[in-house]
Amino acid sequence: MTARERAERRAAIGFVAPAVVTLAALTAGPALWVFWLSLRQRVPVFGIDHFAGIAHYAFLATDPRFWSAFRVTAVFTVASVALELLLGLGLALALRGQRVGRRAALALLLLAWALPGVVTARLFEWLYHPAAGLVNVALGVALNWLGDPALALPALVLADVWRTMPFVALFCYARLLTIPAAVYEAAAVDGAGRAATFRFVTLPLLAPVLLVTLLFRTLDALRAFDLMFVLTGGGPAGLTETLTVYAYRSLFQTLRLGFGSAIGVIVFVLVMAVAAAYLSVLRRREAAA
Amino acid sequence: MTSRRALVADVAVLVFLALYAVPFLWQVLTSFKPEAELLRVPPLWPTTLTLSHYEVVFTQSAMPRALLNSLGVGVLTTALACALGVPAAFALATLRVPAAGPLMLGVVASTAFPQIATVSPLYLVMRALGLRDTWAALVLADASFALPFVIWLMTRFMREIPRELSEAAALDGAGRWRTLLSVHLPLTAPGLASVALLTFLFAWNEFLFAFTFTATEASRTVPVALALFPGVFEVPWGDIAAASILASIPPVLIVVGLQRWLVRGLLAGALTE
Amino acid sequence: MRAILLAAAVVLLAGCGGPPRADAPVTVVFKHARMFGDDPVPRLVAAFERRHPGVRVKTEALGSSSDEQHQFFVINLEGSAAARGPGFDVMMLDVIWVPEFARAGWLLDLTPSLAPGELDAHFPAAAEAARWNGRVWALPWNFNVGVLYYRADLLARHGLGPPRSDAELARAVQRIRAAERDPKLEGFVWQGKQYEGLTCNALEALWASGTALLGPDGEVLPDTTRAAHALARLRGWITDGISPPWVSAADEELTRRAFGDGRAIFLRNWFYAMDLFDAPGAPGRGKVGIAALPGRGAAGPSPGSTGGSLLGVSRTTRHPAAAVALARFLASEEAQRVLAGGSVLPTRMALYHDPALVAKRPHMPRFHDLALAARPRPVTPAYLMLSTSLQPELSAVVVGVKTPERAVADARRQLAYALQGLR
Repeated sequence: MTARERAERRAAIGFVAPAVVTLAALTAGPALWVFWLSLRQRVPVFGIDHFAGIAHYAFLATDPRFWSAFRVTAVFTVASVALELLLGLGLALALRGQRVGRRAALALLLLAWALPGVVTARLFEWLYHPAAGLVNVALGVALNWLGDPALALPALVLADVWRTMPFVALFCYARLLTIPAAVYEAAAVDGAGRAATFRFVTLPLLAPVLLVTLLFRTLDALRAFDLMFVLTGGGPAGLTETLTVYAYRSLFQTLRLGFGSAIGVIVFVLVMAVAAAYLSVLRRREAAA
Repeated sequence: MTSRRALVADVAVLVFLALYAVPFLWQVLTSFKPEAELLRVPPLWPTTLTLSHYEVVFTQSAMPRALLNSLGVGVLTTALACALGVPAAFALATLRVPAAGPLMLGVVASTAFPQIATVSPLYLVMRALGLRDTWAALVLADASFALPFVIWLMTRFMREIPRELSEAAALDGAGRWRTLLSVHLPLTAPGLASVALLTFLFAWNEFLFAFTFTATEASRTVPVALALFPGVFEVPWGDIAAASILASIPPVLIVVGLQRWLVRGLLAGALTE
Repeated sequence: MRAILLAAAVVLLAGCGGPPRADAPVTVVFKHARMFGDDPVPRLVAAFERRHPGVRVKTEALGSSSDEQHQFFVINLEGSAAARGPGFDVMMLDVIWVPEFARAGWLLDLTPSLAPGELDAHFPAAAEAARWNGRVWALPWNFNVGVLYYRADLLARHGLGPPRSDAELARAVQRIRAAERDPKLEGFVWQGKQYEGLTCNALEALWASGTALLGPDGEVLPDTTRAAHALARLRGWITDGISPPWVSAADEELTRRAFGDGRAIFLRNWFYAMDLFDAPGAPGRGKVGIAALPGRGAAGPSPGSTGGSLLGVSRTTRHPAAAVALARFLASEEAQRVLAGGSVLPTRMALYHDPALVAKRPHMPRFHDLALAARPRPVTPAYLMLSTSLQPELSAVVVGVKTPERAVADARRQLAYALQGLR
C-alpha cells in the first residue's frame, strides 16, 4: 500500500466513522440486541430479568393468538399489495395517455402517499363511522365497518390501498415516461394490437420497476403498524391484529420486553426473508440476461 | 373513433381521481362543519361553515405544542442524518473505503429493518440515558432509519459526478473536505434537498417510536397527539378533523411546492439502477 | 449535534436541582386527571396550603384516558434513577394499578402514617383496592360501581319491577318491546368493545355465575365450566335479541347515550351516569331507576365491579411528610364532601347519607347500598396483564368468532405463560 493509498484510507475512515458509529449504536446494535432480548424473560415492572432460552418461541409456536396474528399479517400483506400493484399499474398506464389534469393527479397521488399514517387512520375512521360515515351514506347501508368481524380486515386493507397505491402508480408512471415512442411505433408496424403491445413491450420494460415496488410494498405491509393500531387497534376480537400490533401490545402495554421482542424478531426474520428472496430473483434475472 | 375513446379514458381517469380525493376532501369539509351537523348526514353540505373546531384545537388541545415538537424533531433529525450521512456518502462514492461492500449492504439492509424489532432495545437505551419523553430520544430514534436512507441515496447521487471533477479539484490543491463542499455538494444540491425533505417527512409522520418514547406534551409529536386526541363524553369528530388537517399541512406544502424534487428523490431508488 | 444533545441532557439533569434548603418553602407536585365541569381540586389545594404554611402544591394534569395515564407513570417511574425522582410527589391512581405500582417499588408504604382503622370509613371494596401484601399503599379517593339502570317509566307502565335475574330481565325486554312496538327501542345495552370495560362486564358475568377470574390459589379461570357459562351469557344477550349486535363495539359513553336518549330499556353502567341522566333538561330526567345487576337463576342480584381512583405517594419523594399530608387531606371526609358536591362519588360511606349532599344528589343513599355489595377487580400486580390478555378472547366470544369453551381454554393458556414466575 502506498503512502497515498494509506492517506486516502485514513481520510475515508474519517468521513465514514461518525455515521458508522451512529448506525452501530442506533440500528445495528438494537437489531442484534433484540435477538438476545428475545431469549430472556424480562419484565421490568416486576423486576424480572433472566435467561429463558427459546421458551418464548416455543410458546408462540402453539399460541393461537400468534397464529391468528400471523394469518392476519399474511392476508393483509397479500391483499393490499396485490390490489396496490393492480390499481397502481392501471392508473400509471391510464395517466400516460391522459391529456388533462396530469399535474394535479401527480400532486394528489403524492399527497395521499405523504400523509402521516395516523391521519389516514383518522380519515378512514370517520368515513367508516356507522351512523354518519360517508361510506354508509353513499352506499345507502348501515354497516359497522370496523366493528363487524367480516368487514374490519377488508376495511383496513382498503385504507392501506388508498394510502400506498400512489407509490406503485408513481414508480410505474415514471418508468413509462422513459420508454421511447419509437418502441411503440415499431410494435405498431409489426401489427401488434393493444393487448399484445402491453404483453410483449410494456410489461417486460416495466418488470424491473414492478419487482422493486413489489419488494418495497411487501416489506412495508409486513412492517405496517400505525394504520391498524389507530384505526382498529387490532379489534374486533383480534381479527385485525397483525404481528406488529401483537408485539407492540406485549411490549408496552405490560412491558413484557422479552416476550414482545420474540414477536418482533419473527417480524424481522420475515422481512429479511422476503428481501433475500427478492435479491435471489433479481440475481437469477441478471444471470439470465 | 380513437379520439372519442381517448376522451372516455380521460374522463374515466378524472372521475377516478375525484373519487380518490374524497377521503381527504371530506375531512377538510368536516373540519369546517358546525358541531350540530356532524352526525346529521345527509345533507353532505353544511348550512354554514365554522372555524370553531380549529379554535378548539388551538386553544384547548395539545396540538399547538405537538406541532412545535414535530417541527423541532423533524428539523433536528434531518440535520443530524444529513450531517453524518453526507460525508459518509461522499467517502463511499469517491474514496476507497475499507469494507465498502459489506458496509453498503448493511446500510441498504438496515433501511428494511422493522421498527417493531428495534423499538425494545431502543427503549432500554433511552431509559438508560434518561432520555424518555425528550426531543433527543425521538431525534436519535428517527435517525436510526433516516441515516441509512440518506447514505444510500446520497451515495448514488455522488457516484454520478464524473471522477475528473474531483480529480481536477484535487489537482488545484483542494483538500477532500473542500472538494465535498465546493464540488459534490453544489452538484448534488437538488438531490440533497429532496433527500432532506423526505427525511423530514418520515420524521414528521413517524408514529411507533414517538408513541413509545413520549409521555407528555413536552415531547409528543403530531401523530401521537392525533392518535390520543381526547374526547371527554364523545369523540370530537370535528376537532379531530381539524387536527388532522393541521397535521397534513407540512406534507401538503412539501408535495405541492416541491413536487419535482420529491419525485426525483422518490424515484432515485428505482430508476438509477 | 451530539454535543448539543449532551449539553441538553446536562441542563435537564441540572434542572432537577440539589437537596432543598430547610428554610425554603417545600413544593409538592400533585399529578391528577382533570375533573369534569367545575374542577374542585384548585379549591381543595388552596385550603390545604392555608393549613400548611411553608408547603406549596403544584398541580399537573394527566392525560385523559386511563391507558395514557398508565403509560405516563410507567415511563416516568420505571427505571428512573431514585436520586432524580420522577418529578412528582402525589399521584392519582386508577383503582387497578395499586398492587402493580406497589410491587414495582414506586409507592411509599403509607401504613406507618395512618391511624389504626383509618380506612374503615371507606367502602370495603374501595379499601381493599388500597391494600396489597398486608400494607396500605394508597388512599381511596373516589368511587364507581357497575349497576343496572332501567327505564322506570316503561317498567311501571307494564307492571314490572326491576329484574333480579337474567331471566326476568329477558322477559321484561320481550314484554315491553312487544307492547311498545318501537323498532328503535333496544333491550339491554352494555360494554362489549375490546377494552377494559369489557373485562368489567365479564367479571360481573363470572361473579353472577358463581365463579371468578382468579381462584384462591391464583389459578386463572379455575372453574372452566362456569366460566364458559358466564361468557356464553354475554354472547347470548346478542343472539337472543335482548341486546343489539352493536354492543360488541360499544363503550360506556356509546351505551350511556343510547339509554339516555331513550333508545334502550336497560343499561349496565357506572354510578357516574346517573348525574347525567338526572341533569336538568336531559330527556331521561326522572324516568331512570337503578338496581343491582341481575343474577343468575334464583341466587338474586349480583355484585357490580368497582372503579374509581386512589391517591399514592411516590417512594422517591423528597418531601414525604408534606406529600402524605396532602394525600390524607384530599382523602379526608371534608375534602371528599367538596368533591361529592360536584360530579364525583366519594369512597367514604358516611357521605352517602349526608343531608346536604343527599338534597343535591337524591340517589346517593341508594348508591350506598349497591356499593356495599360491590366487588373490586382482582387485586394483583399482574392485573393489567390479566385484563389485556383476556380482552381479545372475551371480544371473540361476544362477536361470535370463538366458542366460550375455546376462549376460556385459550385465555388460561395465554395467562399461564404470561404469569409464570411473576408471583
